[in-house]
Amino acid sequence: MGGKTDVWQGTLALMVMRTLETMGSLHGYGLARRIEQTSGDKLELNYGTLYPALLKLEQEGYIRARWGVSENNRRAKFYELTKAGRRRMRKAAKEWKQTTGILARFLSPAEEA
Amino acid sequence: MHKLRAWWLRVYGLFRPGHAEEDFSAELESHLALHTEDGIRAGLSPAEARRQALIRLGGAEQTRQAHRERRTLPWLESVLRDVRYALRGFRRNPIFTLTVIATLALGIGATTAVFSVVDRILFRSLPYAHDDRLVSIGTVHSLERQEFMLGGFFFDWRDHQKPFEAMAIQSTGPHACDLVEYNPAQLDCLSFDDGFLPLLGISPVLGRNFLPEEDRPNGPRVVLISYGLWQDHYNRDPGILNRQIDVDGSPARVVGVLPKDFQFPTLQSADVIFPMALDRAAQATANGGIGNPMRTFGRLKPGVSIEQARAQMEPLFLHTRDTFIPKDIRKDFHLSIRSLRDRETQDAQLMAWILLAAVLAVLLIACANVAGLMMARGEARERELAVRSALGASRARLIRQTLTEASLLSLAGAAAGMALAEGLLRAFVDLAPTSIPFLARAGLDIRIASFTVLLSLICAALFGLLPALQTPRAVALAARAVRFRKRSVLRRGLVAGQIAMSMVLLSGAALLLRSFQNVQEQHLGMQTGGVFTVKIALPGFRYDTSQKQMDFYLQAEAAIRRLPGIHAVAISDSVPPGGSQGGRWSDLAVDGKPHPEQGTGGSVAERTVTPDYFHSLNIPIVRGRNFTEEDRRSMEPLIVISRLMATRMFPGEDPIGRRIHTVHANVTYTVVGVAENVKNGGLVEPDEPEIYFLRSSIADYWGERVPLLIVDSVLSPKAAIPWVRSQIAQLDPTVPTKFETLNEQVSKLADRPRFETALLGFFAFTGLVMAVIGLYGVIAFMAAQRTQEIGVRMALGASRFDILRLILREGVRLIALGTAVGIVAALVMSQLLRSLLYQVGPRDPASFIMVTLLLALVALAATLVPARSAMKTDPMQALRCE
Repeated sequence: MGGKTDVWQGTLALMVMRTLETMGSLHGYGLARRIEQTSGDKLELNYGTLYPALLKLEQEGYIRARWGVSENNRRAKFYELTKAGRRRMRKAAKEWKQTTGILARFLSPAEEA
Repeated sequence: MHKLRAWWLRVYGLFRPGHAEEDFSAELESHLALHTEDGIRAGLSPAEARRQALIRLGGAEQTRQAHRERRTLPWLESVLRDVRYALRGFRRNPIFTLTVIATLALGIGATTAVFSVVDRILFRSLPYAHDDRLVSIGTVHSLERQEFMLGGFFFDWRDHQKPFEAMAIQSTGPHACDLVEYNPAQLDCLSFDDGFLPLLGISPVLGRNFLPEEDRPNGPRVVLISYGLWQDHYNRDPGILNRQIDVDGSPARVVGVLPKDFQFPTLQSADVIFPMALDRAAQATANGGIGNPMRTFGRLKPGVSIEQARAQMEPLFLHTRDTFIPKDIRKDFHLSIRSLRDRETQDAQLMAWILLAAVLAVLLIACANVAGLMMARGEARERELAVRSALGASRARLIRQTLTEASLLSLAGAAAGMALAEGLLRAFVDLAPTSIPFLARAGLDIRIASFTVLLSLICAALFGLLPALQTPRAVALAARAVRFRKRSVLRRGLVAGQIAMSMVLLSGAALLLRSFQNVQEQHLGMQTGGVFTVKIALPGFRYDTSQKQMDFYLQAEAAIRRLPGIHAVAISDSVPPGGSQGGRWSDLAVDGKPHPEQGTGGSVAERTVTPDYFHSLNIPIVRGRNFTEEDRRSMEPLIVISRLMATRMFPGEDPIGRRIHTVHANVTYTVVGVAENVKNGGLVEPDEPEIYFLRSSIADYWGERVPLLIVDSVLSPKAAIPWVRSQIAQLDPTVPTKFETLNEQVSKLADRPRFETALLGFFAFTGLVMAVIGLYGVIAFMAAQRTQEIGVRMALGASRFDILRLILREGVRLIALGTAVGIVAALVMSQLLRSLLYQVGPRDPASFIMVTLLLALVALAATLVPARSAMKTDPMQALRCE
């Protein structure tokens, strides 16, 4: 897709939680756009997949949703991180860093050899 | 935790669909609006901006679907759909549904209840360690069928036996003893030796077992107490250990408390247990040198069978017998070694097996019924299934639908069955005689309940699946009843089998019923109405001489006599038809005659009575005279004998004035009268010859037998008993009394046959009802299948009578086949009942004819109903239908 990357399974939840942590409360559309921006427009979300992911996080109690009014006066559903979500996010981020760190060592050019 | 929360929310979502759906639609709409606004701001036309927004979303409907699937549990949703569909089907067809559920409930309920009753008798292990190796050891003879041991040879056996790892002894029957305290109570006391609890693998819950130095003659006076006594009398005070309690006026130290659920192997109950403290030297002289009787139990060495043990013990037994038992009765003594289970359950095992077999037959009938009903329903729905499969339902989908229906029916049946089982079990316990062990403690058995539920589920599913598995695609849509024949053979077989099985059940029930009638209607030879007995437990330590005891009874007799409405008051030691003291024929010798018979000659009923005994029970004196009040104060030994005794001992002679010598007591009695025979060996056992001794009013001759007062009143016992009670209380307010009417005692003897008859009758009735339902179902279904054929036949000139015959013929064939098979099976099976039957043979023709007629009539009626409605078919309509 024109050099843009699909979001692979499992990472979307982390991105959502991380975005909500930095931005506070966001509606679904805003969240999607923000994720794309943060990726430097390298990611192109299928917005339709965002909503089941949000629902799953909500069912698990990591985020909560509430109806509110958007910056341009539209009714929209706003999501924000719960305490449990914050904890979960930290843990997941740590694990993810470890994984990528390990992979990075494998993939880096063999300088010391 | 979070996963679980999500799962619950999704389950919850199943049942609350509406709101969440609207909410998400609104959210989606707001998303699209925001996205479209952005597009317009970027310079797109409103229509193009919305189109772009929809594309990026991947379609609104798809998103909704994905959201919905995440919101609920899709697989559970489809199960619920199946359930809803099945329930709708059941509602449309309530008779089918209720019949299946009721049938299942009966099968499951009855089986569970009966199994819960017989489990402890037949299967459950006894509550002792190594219970499969525990045996009861001893000798038996015609008057005592339970193994007993005598102190004179116990030591000999114990020291020289080989087959047992350990042997332990217990005293015979508990005796009454008194707890003398601030709160006195009459208790049951028993003794066992220090090896008794270890043999059974039981340890006291509190304290310890007897020490070897305590189980010794003249050892310290220590006791173990039962959990019940500890709980009720001492409020489970742990300080009971080492406390001195006063039993029969002398102190004893409590060293331990028995476990709560402890059972004596003899199933007796006792509150206080003393050490046996058997004295070898004393036993060699006690009881005329043979020692005191007791019960002995042993644990077989591993790998030794009961037969091997018997063979190994035989030489010891023979030696003992030849040493201790007088020559003339030696033949009557046998060695007996029985497993503890046999000792505990006695003859209840046969009854338990019969009940189990009967209830399994009921379960089979129920299963066959459910199978038949499910098959009929499956066939009736063949077209529906074909339509569904033509519309794209996969075979797996249809099978799942059928399984769902079968499971629902089984679950409903199981729930109803459990309720029924609980009710039945309570009824059994109420109805059951005390001679069936463990019943009072029986509880519903979950294992067997699950087993029966599973069985019925398999039954329903298997036969429900048959049509679903073979669903033809186009054939069933186009035609009807093409392969109908094949499955109908199976179903007719099922119905014939049900009829055969009910035949077996019914004939068993009929035989028991006839036998029970014989028991109830037999002539007892005495009056029972208006008569009651009074048992008085005189505390032995206060009434310690025969003078004191006799005075009490004579005063009681006189006091009760003075009451208005009292016709007669007698003192005996027992009443017929139940127990009596037993003696041996061979113990009696007629003066001036050689002993007429070899061997023991069977047993003789003995009772020690006052003259009023014959008045109170209205037993006529047929020759000579009754005892008189004057006789009571004379020293002369007099007896009255029964007519059976007279004809056997003095055939063709006048017994009056003859003298009978009792070898054992070495007394010669003079016969003064002959009394009419009375049923005296129990209700169903043969009568025994009877000797009535006179209970003398001289203290030295008062005797050791515990007296029993017999009162015959003109008033009803209900009215007379309180008067009598107050009279006795005036003499001594502390003595416990027990009143029982003679009718109650007789009825209690009939408890066992009543229980057996009621249960088998109930099962037979249940089986019959189900078989008839099954028969009706099959015939009605066949008639319905042949509606069109009937129309054609009628159009071609068949009369209504021809049609009736056509349908009836189907039914009659099934009935004839089922009944024929059933009679043969019943004739074989009824042999098992032989020992339970009284004055009716296991092949009693009257019972069999009656049952066959009953079954045939009911079954014919069941076929007649659908046959009649087929007969009334309107040919025009029948032909037009399709």
